[in-house]
Amino acid sequence: MAGKSGREISAVPASGIKGKLLSWEGALILILIGVNILGVAISPNYNVSNVLREMPRYLAEIFMMFGMGYILVLGDIDISVGALVCLAGTITVLSSNAGAPFGLAVVICLAVGLLGGMLNGFIATRFTELPTMIVTLGTQIIFRGIAEVLFETWGNGGGTASMADTKGLMLLAKKIGPFPIAFFCVIIVGVVMITVLSKTTFGRKLYAIGSNKTAAYYAGVKVEKIRFICYSLLGFLAGVCALFLLTATFGSNTTTGQGFEMEVIAMCVFGGIATTGGKGNLIGGFIAAFIIVCLRIALGQRNINTQIILVIIGLMLIISVLVPSISSAITARKKKAQT
Amino acid sequence: MKKKSIGQFLSGSREASLVIVLVVLLIVVGVINPSFLSFTNIRQIFLNNTLTFIMALGMLCVMLTAGIDISITSTLAFAGMSIGMLQKYDVIHNTFLLFVIGALIGIVCGFLNGIIIAKGNVAPIICTMGFMYIWRGMAYVISNNNWASGMDVAGFSDFGKDGAPGPYIILIVAYVVFFVVMKWTRFGRRIYAVGSNTEAARVSGINVDRTLTSVYTIMGFLAGLSGVLSVSIYASAQPNMQYGKEMDVIAACVIGGVSMNGGRGSVAGTFLGALIIGIISKALPMVNIPNFWQNLIKGVIILAVVILNVVTQRTMDRQNLLRREM
Amino acid sequence: MKKKVLSVLLATTVVASLLAGCGSTAADTAAPAAEAAPAEEAAPAEEAAPAEEAATEEAAPADDAAASASGSTYALVTKSAGNPFMDRMATGFQEAVEDAGGTVVIQNPEAATPDAQISVIQSLISQGVNSIAVAGNDANALTAVLTEAEDAGIKVLTLDSDVAPDTRAVFCNQAGVDQIGETLMEAVYDLTGGEGDWAILSATSQATNQNAWIDAMKKLMESDSKYSKLNLVEVAYGDDEPQKSTDQTQALLQNYPDLKVICAPTTVGIAAAAKVLQDQKSTVKLTGLGLPSEMAEYIGDDDAHSCPYMFLWNPIDLGRLAGYTSVALVDGTITGAKGDKFTAGDLGDYTIEDIDGATQIILGPPFKFDPSNIDEWKEVY
Repeated sequence: MAGKSGREISAVPASGIKGKLLSWEGALILILIGVNILGVAISPNYNVSNVLREMPRYLAEIFMMFGMGYILVLGDIDISVGALVCLAGTITVLSSNAGAPFGLAVVICLAVGLLGGMLNGFIATRFTELPTMIVTLGTQIIFRGIAEVLFETWGNGGGTASMADTKGLMLLAKKIGPFPIAFFCVIIVGVVMITVLSKTTFGRKLYAIGSNKTAAYYAGVKVEKIRFICYSLLGFLAGVCALFLLTATFGSNTTTGQGFEMEVIAMCVFGGIATTGGKGNLIGGFIAAFIIVCLRIALGQRNINTQIILVIIGLMLIISVLVPSISSAITARKKKAQT
Repeated sequence: MKKKSIGQFLSGSREASLVIVLVVLLIVVGVINPSFLSFTNIRQIFLNNTLTFIMALGMLCVMLTAGIDISITSTLAFAGMSIGMLQKYDVIHNTFLLFVIGALIGIVCGFLNGIIIAKGNVAPIICTMGFMYIWRGMAYVISNNNWASGMDVAGFSDFGKDGAPGPYIILIVAYVVFFVVMKWTRFGRRIYAVGSNTEAARVSGINVDRTLTSVYTIMGFLAGLSGVLSVSIYASAQPNMQYGKEMDVIAACVIGGVSMNGGRGSVAGTFLGALIIGIISKALPMVNIPNFWQNLIKGVIILAVVILNVVTQRTMDRQNLLRREM
Repeated sequence: MKKKVLSVLLATTVVASLLAGCGSTAADTAAPAAEAAPAEEAAPAEEAAPAEEAATEEAAPADDAAASASGSTYALVTKSAGNPFMDRMATGFQEAVEDAGGTVVIQNPEAATPDAQISVIQSLISQGVNSIAVAGNDANALTAVLTEAEDAGIKVLTLDSDVAPDTRAVFCNQAGVDQIGETLMEAVYDLTGGEGDWAILSATSQATNQNAWIDAMKKLMESDSKYSKLNLVEVAYGDDEPQKSTDQTQALLQNYPDLKVICAPTTVGIAAAAKVLQDQKSTVKLTGLGLPSEMAEYIGDDDAHSCPYMFLWNPIDLGRLAGYTSVALVDGTITGAKGDKFTAGDLGDYTIEDIDGATQIILGPPFKFDPSNIDEWKEVY
């Protein structure tokens, strides 16, 4: 397998993987604490209530992080989700304005996400020769394209639409104590997704496919069926993301969700999930997501140039993927020195 | 090698099936709007898409090694913005020197990508994603919320003026050089070898790390060059220039039959792929399709062509199998 | 052996910092619980203090603006980073506020999307600024966050592009929509000679401002028989990208051989169109709204230049107007209601008007840039 030659990890016994992952997650927790200390140190307004208040817009993205984690573990990638968020949000807003009650609008939102994910899954599993990046690049343009057409043909034009009846959304935006509802939902979805990936046979199968698709196939794993399920799942979560994003924007426009796919992938990778598949853990991604969110909030409160924040995130991303190979190089050198 | 019949050629070669797609596209658009086939228009297709054409060559090399580079338009913006600012503040106005500076910036950006991917064993998409954020951010930082515009780049923009030969010459030279290098030089074959089977290449004595580094450096060079060209052609340097267009370049390569798993793809295919992307973006406004339909149609065409590629490949494989059985 | 010691050490550090982290979060949660209430109370109290000061000082004989704004923080949220128009606007805003003795926070969102603006505004709410002036990227998407800001006692106003009127106090409008529509229509009438084909090259299809201006122009064409011989062939969208704007302009030229004038009410579009026309030595003329520094190359009366004249307002003045308005809102001189009057430094006196249900302050008529004054203005913005 080209490009995967450097990955010896699958040959290492399970305890080894566990040890290594644990240490990475330990480091992530330390970083998370560090970021929070930094936040308190640089901004007088960095406190729990403010952080929680600023969080909902970012929380919506974290839903997709879990689904993306599954796709990355499979060794695939999906760059259409940002556009899918736009499409789901748009259809929800337009159907609500056309008279659909809020409950129905929610169902529509999730259904559009699911259908979009299923379309990705269908093409990706039917034409397995196609790299998933190019499939989802195509659907990315198409999803946003459909949203653009809908704004003109169904909405009032102008590439934007806002929800007339926001009562339901207000309900979703409510807080329980200082915590927004989205926060609890993220935790619940997170626990379920993390458990499924790490504790069930379904989760194990994902790792098997990601490590070696052919081997998994011959071991009796229904590779294409599982891939289809994962794409559908990610699509569904994009629908969830669209719904919670609506609680912050009360509407949708042609730029909704722009760049989300990259931010979500960055969260996963920073959390230790390799894009080459078969490696990583959603717990890492979960912590990493909060690191990025807290860092953005902390630097934002100091009014640091938004572009510099992006540069910092880029640097963090590269350093985080370099650390494992540097540390393995160091241990290799040590071993050599010992013998 | 036996000669194939025309029928076999058409169903058997990926480039040939691309030519068919191209001809169909041209006929459809030409019937709806005959002025599409005018000389001026065809010339403008190349001029407006010079950047896609040139960067697709670099992307071809990167994808041949089973890699990908999504930082290219950020590198482009950083290089373009740098030379734009150099002119705005009247530091340098020499066209040649500006090209050299832009290309050098691109080379440095590309080299960083290459060294981290090769030596650090980092997945290309992640490394280049990091730099995508970094160089784009840097472009904004050095712009300091300013654009370099028509007045600032006055003499320089004559190079890329509509009708000036500069961009076409660069385009032709780039394609000829790459065609030769990829087909007939040791370096070109090494790139294919690394992409087809990294381990085998390593065992057979190819310095894989060096090949990878040089491939990304070439990509960076072409992205830097495109940055300079972009400022020249549009007489404007803005920090958000060509945002998101890396996907067009990748799409051009994939449409042109370059495999993302490495080792398969050609300069001719890349050219045809970039041409199809160029024609789509040029034709859509000219066939009186309302603006809001254009993205949807573009997406459908890209996906359709890519799927057609797969279908052709399957037929090819089946034919080969049949031939072997006979 | 060494390794073991190290790992034990590391483990202890982790546990210690975890505990510390828990401790600090616990303290934090406890603090806001205790703090939250006082903080909320404190904020208005703090606000009230300067306001009272201001009131007393205003009552005092000298009307000293400088003192009235001191201690308050005024924020400006632009459309996005990397935009010279927005940058000049921010310069003006800063000038005005600092002139009044206030502190300025200028935030350029990472991209020209409402999402990016929401994050920035949320952060400003946390910082407890006194006012937020925002150039909206979307008319509706900022509703929730701006309502939240107003609930937190922050004065909200808009400039350049408006949002839903009930979520902000007042809109600093560069020029009335109908005024811009009329100016541009008049220019098209003049350049075409009163009859013939003309086209519009706009920004994105969801650009609020551009859509309003285009609608105003269309309405004018229907209502005024003077324009009956003009034929608007197409509204093209260049998405404010040089490349797409170039493609669209070339398509307009090829599709409509009888085209006489292109009107581009967007700074990126007009520059791209100007270059296309000038490079092709086309006889089609261009007008619209553009930055003088961007357009200096293309403005001229002869055939070698593609744009005889164009319009824009002074972004620096627009920023200053918003700055003075922010100060006036915070110190209570105005509330944003129709008929409120205030003095915007050396810009003069302004009155809040109510146009189509939206309270706004209009800067003034658009300014005409032609060969006689372009050299002077291209250095300014």
